[in-house]
Amino acid sequence: MTNTTDRTPLLRAEGLEVGYAGEPVCAPVDLVVEPGRALGVVGANGAGKSTLLQTLVGLLEPLGGTVEFDGREVDERQADFRRDVACVLDDEAFFPSLTGREHLLLTARGHGVTDPESVVAAEVAEFGLAERADALPSQLSSGQRRRLALAAVFVRPARLVVLDEPERRLDAGMRARLAQRLARHRDDGVAIVFACHDADFLRAVADDVLLVDEEETRRLAPEVAADVLPTL
Amino acid sequence: MLEAELSGAQVRRFTRRATAARADTTLAERLGDLWANLVTIAIGVGVLAGALSSVRESMALAGAPATVPVLPAGVTVAIAAVLAIAGLVVCLDRLGPVSSTPAAAAWWLPLPAGRGGLLRGELARITSAVVGTAVVLSLPLALALTDAPSVLGVAVVLAGTAGSAAALVGAAAVNQTRGRSGRLAPLAGAVAVGVAVVAVAACTALAVTGGADVPALPSVPAGWALAALGAAVPLVVVAVAGLDRLGAAQLRAAGATAQYAAASAVSLDTRELGRALTARRPRAPRRARRFGRVSGAWQAVVAGDRAALSRSPWHVGQALVAVAVPVLVARTDGLGALPLAVWGACLVGWSLAAVAAGHPARQAQALPALDRLLPLSTPGVTVARAVVPLVLVTTVTALTGLLVGLAGDTPLLWTGLCAATAPAWAAASLRGAFRPEMDWAGPVVSTPMGVLPVGAGAGFVQGVDVGVLGSLPVAAALVTGGPTPVLLAVQLLWSVLLGAGALALVVRRRGGRS
Repeated sequence: MTNTTDRTPLLRAEGLEVGYAGEPVCAPVDLVVEPGRALGVVGANGAGKSTLLQTLVGLLEPLGGTVEFDGREVDERQADFRRDVACVLDDEAFFPSLTGREHLLLTARGHGVTDPESVVAAEVAEFGLAERADALPSQLSSGQRRRLALAAVFVRPARLVVLDEPERRLDAGMRARLAQRLARHRDDGVAIVFACHDADFLRAVADDVLLVDEEETRRLAPEVAADVLPTL
Repeated sequence: MLEAELSGAQVRRFTRRATAARADTTLAERLGDLWANLVTIAIGVGVLAGALSSVRESMALAGAPATVPVLPAGVTVAIAAVLAIAGLVVCLDRLGPVSSTPAAAAWWLPLPAGRGGLLRGELARITSAVVGTAVVLSLPLALALTDAPSVLGVAVVLAGTAGSAAALVGAAAVNQTRGRSGRLAPLAGAVAVGVAVVAVAACTALAVTGGADVPALPSVPAGWALAALGAAVPLVVVAVAGLDRLGAAQLRAAGATAQYAAASAVSLDTRELGRALTARRPRAPRRARRFGRVSGAWQAVVAGDRAALSRSPWHVGQALVAVAVPVLVARTDGLGALPLAVWGACLVGWSLAAVAAGHPARQAQALPALDRLLPLSTPGVTVARAVVPLVLVTTVTALTGLLVGLAGDTPLLWTGLCAATAPAWAAASLRGAFRPEMDWAGPVVSTPMGVLPVGAGAGFVQGVDVGVLGSLPVAAALVTGGPTPVLLAVQLLWSVLLGAGALALVVRRRGGRS
């Protein structure tokens, strides 16, 4: 499924405890994600998937253990880290007076992308936003705003993509296209970590799955995890 | 292949230009708005300066005071300045002071651009807002402090105020960039309470023992302005240099708090504003309560309220400051001889006490399920929730009366008269805590702060209104030279009737029969 040649771990967590105010929300996590690999994170609502993802990208302090990106402790205040890591978590918000296209151009230009207009135009088309790209966020539907947030991941370079339930609020067609897109991204050597509740999406994207739970965290094969999902 | 990334300043410029490109106001309209705001501020400053001058003249002409004043006005102004600075520090510490809106957190902070460049504008904005507000508020004081204010004197006060305000913002921002956010607020609160308590104790002791008066503070030296400006510059520079150290999560959390607080402030919703400024994870209590003496639902409500209040040091401190405010005004030379000034200070202090006492009720208002946990009717649970406020405001008002009346002829009558206002203030605290949410679905009116629901102003004073009405006999006592047994009886009867009526209204509004 993957074609990467670089097997040096990009993201590594050891004994990672995540939670709030000193209280862990799930069992300690050990994980390794290499370039060109996709790790799905599954678990019941409240199991700690979002908290884990936020800790992996440095938005929350770990309660214990370590998390490293490219051999260094994760610190999102470092420009190099932000240059390499793209994420869409549950913090969807938009400038009310910037259009969808302007949001994407800001991201592309902010990352120094060559010919940002063309890159943005291509992603706008890919995400089915061509007709609505010049509308303000308040004029977009909830699903279109979700597409816009996800498109921002692809208008910039990244070595690691972290997504929290990317399939949420997308129609079936868009889910399938996004899964294919992420799979291509992975095959191009990008590492992907994503939380997910959709069995088909999980099968299409993940090489490996981490089941997060209060009692223990387990590694599962994507097929097994997809079967487990309805029982969570 | 990549081009040069945008710097923080370029990112801000990109966003500003895109926003400006579709602004639906013309330059003339914006200048018109600016002019209207400047005129409104000038009128406000003029009115306030006139009122302060009038107070100063009244102080000079005042007759024999009903209390024993020992503090020079300059000392009281200095204590008020300490309290105001502490309040500002608490707000700055709670709000960041540097923060990001949710949109900036989502679209700016993930960019590789340096945080310093991205956030410099935010720091400049908050510094300008604090400095501007401080200057506008100090201008009437500067104009009214002397008979013939000179341009130089006013300029010194304004420059000193501006420098001090900028230095405070700079210090709070430096503190934030060093990862110590949230630690200044408790310190500032403790300093404010400490200064208030020591000042009250000292002036009461002086009044009782008839000791030497406190010497007046020397006038404000011109060097103060230079020192303040001199301190502000390096602090702001160090803060700007440290902006790169701010984490996205911290900025996003501070931004959410700032938005919550701003929305509450422009909606005149003080209850929500208080929640916004105290919205931090509470520390786990050191000792778990077992409520061993609780043997019924009614007692459980009272015990729960008592625990909630005792675990909130902010509200305990607020109650101490509530005692200090009227006592300090009553003991201030000149000001203490003005019945309206002393009465006004009593209203301010007791309002603070009522707000502190309403803390458990506000928690219950935010979580209605709490009141449904116990087998009590709505009237029963509401009356039970009045017990702790009644005890607290009785303590505060009685202590106020005692400290104001000491060294006079009738300290016990003062104590009784002030304590007799407690039923009204206890009902006021519940009326404020359970006042209805603003009805944004109904008719709205346009105001300088934006669109507000009809009746927003009335909602703003709900609670305090009952306390003010219930304290009218205290005003009568101050005007007529002191309390009498008849006034005490009138005060008690009036306060109990008003309190009972207000409580019945609260019960009816909450859906229970009174």
